[in-house]
Amino acid sequence: MEVEISRRRFLQGSVALTIIGGTALSASNLFSDKKETGEFRVTTKTELSKAKHVPFLCGMCVNKCAGYARVESEGKYKGIVTKLDPNPYFPKSRNMLCPRGNAGIQTLYDPDRLKYPLVRIGERGDGKYKRVSWDEAYEAILNGTDKFPGILKILDEEKDNRATIGYCNGEGLSKAGFEDLMMQKIGSPNYVDEISICLETTLGGYFSTIGTYGEADMNNADYLIIAGANRAEAIITPDTQDMFKRSERRGLKTIVLDPRFTNTAAKADRWYAVNPGTDLAFVLAMTYVVMKEELYDKDFVSKYAVGFEDYKKHILSHNYTPQWAEKLTNIPAKEIYKTAREFMAAQSPIYYQGRRSVFVKNDFQLRRAMAIFQGLSGNLDKKGGIIYGKKLALPKEDINAPLYAQAKSRFDTDGIALTGNKSGSWIVFRNMILEGKNPYPVRAMFMRKHNPMSGVPNTAKTVEFLKKMDLNVMIDILPSDTTMYCDVILPEASYLERTSPAASYGLLEPAIVQRKASIKPMFETKTPEVIYKELAQKLSRPLWENTKKYDEDVQADIKGMKPKEIQKYYKENGFDLADAWDKPVEEQNKERVVKTYGEKAWKILDEKGVFYPNMEKYHKKLNPNEYEYYPENKKNYTTQKGKLKVVMNFKNLTKKGVDSMPTWYDDMAFKVPEGKFRLVTGRHAQFTQSATTNNMMLRDLIPTNYVWINKRVAKRKGIEFADMVEVKSRVGKIHLKAYPTEKIAPNQIFLLHGFGGSSKEMHMAYGNGGSDAIIIIDEIEPVYGAAAMNETNVEIRKV
Amino acid sequence: MRYGMALDYKNCINCRACEVACKEENGVELGARKHRIWVGVKEVEGEWPNINIASSTFEPSQCQQCENAPCQEVCPTQATHYAPGGIVMVDASKCILCTYCMVACPYDARYVNDRTETVDKCTFCSDTRLARGETTTACQATCPTKVRTFGDLDDPESEISQLLNVRDHFTLKAHLGTKPKLFYLI
Repeated sequence: MEVEISRRRFLQGSVALTIIGGTALSASNLFSDKKETGEFRVTTKTELSKAKHVPFLCGMCVNKCAGYARVESEGKYKGIVTKLDPNPYFPKSRNMLCPRGNAGIQTLYDPDRLKYPLVRIGERGDGKYKRVSWDEAYEAILNGTDKFPGILKILDEEKDNRATIGYCNGEGLSKAGFEDLMMQKIGSPNYVDEISICLETTLGGYFSTIGTYGEADMNNADYLIIAGANRAEAIITPDTQDMFKRSERRGLKTIVLDPRFTNTAAKADRWYAVNPGTDLAFVLAMTYVVMKEELYDKDFVSKYAVGFEDYKKHILSHNYTPQWAEKLTNIPAKEIYKTAREFMAAQSPIYYQGRRSVFVKNDFQLRRAMAIFQGLSGNLDKKGGIIYGKKLALPKEDINAPLYAQAKSRFDTDGIALTGNKSGSWIVFRNMILEGKNPYPVRAMFMRKHNPMSGVPNTAKTVEFLKKMDLNVMIDILPSDTTMYCDVILPEASYLERTSPAASYGLLEPAIVQRKASIKPMFETKTPEVIYKELAQKLSRPLWENTKKYDEDVQADIKGMKPKEIQKYYKENGFDLADAWDKPVEEQNKERVVKTYGEKAWKILDEKGVFYPNMEKYHKKLNPNEYEYYPENKKNYTTQKGKLKVVMNFKNLTKKGVDSMPTWYDDMAFKVPEGKFRLVTGRHAQFTQSATTNNMMLRDLIPTNYVWINKRVAKRKGIEFADMVEVKSRVGKIHLKAYPTEKIAPNQIFLLHGFGGSSKEMHMAYGNGGSDAIIIIDEIEPVYGAAAMNETNVEIRKV
Repeated sequence: MRYGMALDYKNCINCRACEVACKEENGVELGARKHRIWVGVKEVEGEWPNINIASSTFEPSQCQQCENAPCQEVCPTQATHYAPGGIVMVDASKCILCTYCMVACPYDARYVNDRTETVDKCTFCSDTRLARGETTTACQATCPTKVRTFGDLDDPESEISQLLNVRDHFTLKAHLGTKPKLFYLI
């Protein structure tokens, strides 16, 4: 590979992180057209002939932008998706698709996709699988093979304790269905998902303080503090779109706090290179200024604040002065004074809630402090502030969930103050099992669209955890690192091949959206809901027999019943596991929408992919780029009449051992031993975690992940651009290429998350770059047990 | 009819959705040298934490669709020509891959297309989207922050004409006299 330094005249210096070699691919693809090019071919020019335009919701990340898939109706690409275009009807995504959205075609046609059900015939991790039929795969899940036991044997040995089956799940429109299957129907409480490796504390902190996470009205705000969140590179709509049309002195004054100089910082009026994990000191010091100088909205505070006087006293008595914070945060005291005063003087200031992983252990209290600070400005539930808004109702039929007397409850509570209602802490769950602290055996993991080996800190432990299971089942579209440790692999149709459950999005300008299948599932893949149904059908009877064998409640209930009555009992009490999927998704969507909004609404949704009441009247094209979705007086700026409150002193938290008011402790200070570096992690606009690193188009934009290291430090260490370096923490080490830059502090390094895949079946991702999960230590924050991603110190050396 | 594009370049966040949309729409090959459009970035000036924010700019660029196109002037076979709407196009049957145009282009906007064996360039999607009657280019349609506005400069009612009437703008390397039809809005 040859590093390209200066491709275009605009590309000056050595920053161009593009590497030639994108065309030198060995894999074969549906579009491989040797005759025409003699080479590998990925992209396909759109045709001039007729095409269908099928509404979809993007599945490349969590955001769910709406688009239309162009499916050629004739010619040599008949039936092929050749282009994805934005859908101008969805107020949330506002007529756009990001690079990942555009590159969705390459995920659909990824040559490495899982194409057939597979059953393991070798050892875990060695990649030896046998292609089987769907029924054989389900049979292997139920009854096992000579290599692994099935779920029936496990549940028999565990006397129908359903909690012995753990499960995990990734974000998406079919996530709820998998929860229905595993939690409601099969009856396992041991659920972990992306929330505990993502923004759990943000949601918790905001909900417990102002009652919502809300929506930042970037279109009408005039002052923005955005700390830790990187909206230019971690795109969330409409925030990203609205924000950067008004930044750079065009109406939205923008203050960015981030340890590194991000693309968001590049758009800022001021950038503060805050020490990692010290944002809380910054917010407390700004709060000090606001309290001391009485800059808060007195009218608002007197009406809506709970425990204002307590909090004021708390802040002032702790002496959280800007001078105090300067030493901790690396932000000059005078800048803190200035920012606090500007914020409170602004007409519509927003301290952006942020949307990112938990970085350090104080994150819950940081979010509380931020929400309170926003509350002090009074800029809540109004235009230009944090909006509560409204969602459009879209009721769903309840699941008939059976009760299992033998199912034990979850146990992943070690070191956690508030245990999640639904899903728990990945790290605590995994580590307790590894340390033998689980009160009963957890013997199987059912996984879907989730890659804990890349997502959960300390990969070595995740591998050990997976190896410890008797049965691992995976439903996914690509053979991820985690997939390679599974016994049965069920290939799922990608988002462009399936109609998904309709969903309701948005607060300020809400809408209902439906993803329709652009093409039929390719190869032998199936849509998730069909997989849930068929798996449920396969498991239903045998597991019912097992329940009858051990479940004393059921035994008592059916005692003396005739077979017909027992059959009735089985049906009525939800033991027929497949009854939740009696109707296909398409039919369910129609029923749900027609029931609430009528036939016409369904017609609009089915055709356009988007519906909201009065859409035909309200939706207007303003210019070739922009649309109006709701008239100004119909937007949900203010919805909380009589309900608004800002909980500054949350007394009940102390019962759980959590501070009732955000407090700084000395051990929160940022410390890096001499010669080491703090690892900070983050995202990029071109990738979504490990899920997209095999995407050829995106790989073309960002060929690998580099480790950012301060230029002066790199020079001292003799490290130059693209030199291979080893980054080592106390839990692991990785090799990747270096990018010396002044965009990062001398005692920190940064690397992009999601790279360094270990699955040899993903040819683009395998061994490309380094995986941060291998080196991030598995530290949790104490409120929910969410993974604290930026607590790791590392060493770095040239290799 | 005279097609041009206005770029509200301060909106650009360097996400490169435009590059991908262009590649998918027009069947541009993969590879760092196979770009019709790109976002220019520079290494920042200053030393951490004193970075010069203004030194970090994102400049979306592509063929400037010059009215006096140097690439057209030097083409020995007239493969490069002005198509209707003033779009600078390449006739694949005439191109001999001499690459004079690549050297002549002051914007470095041309690249070798190995599929068609031409020195290719941005066509304003004229053989895909415009040919189907669509009124936006792929890069414009997909842009998250709506940097681009494509349209007819000769039509005083068009969005681009209106924008150029009310917004200050500049063209790249105006001193060369190439008369670009890409306008950067200030």
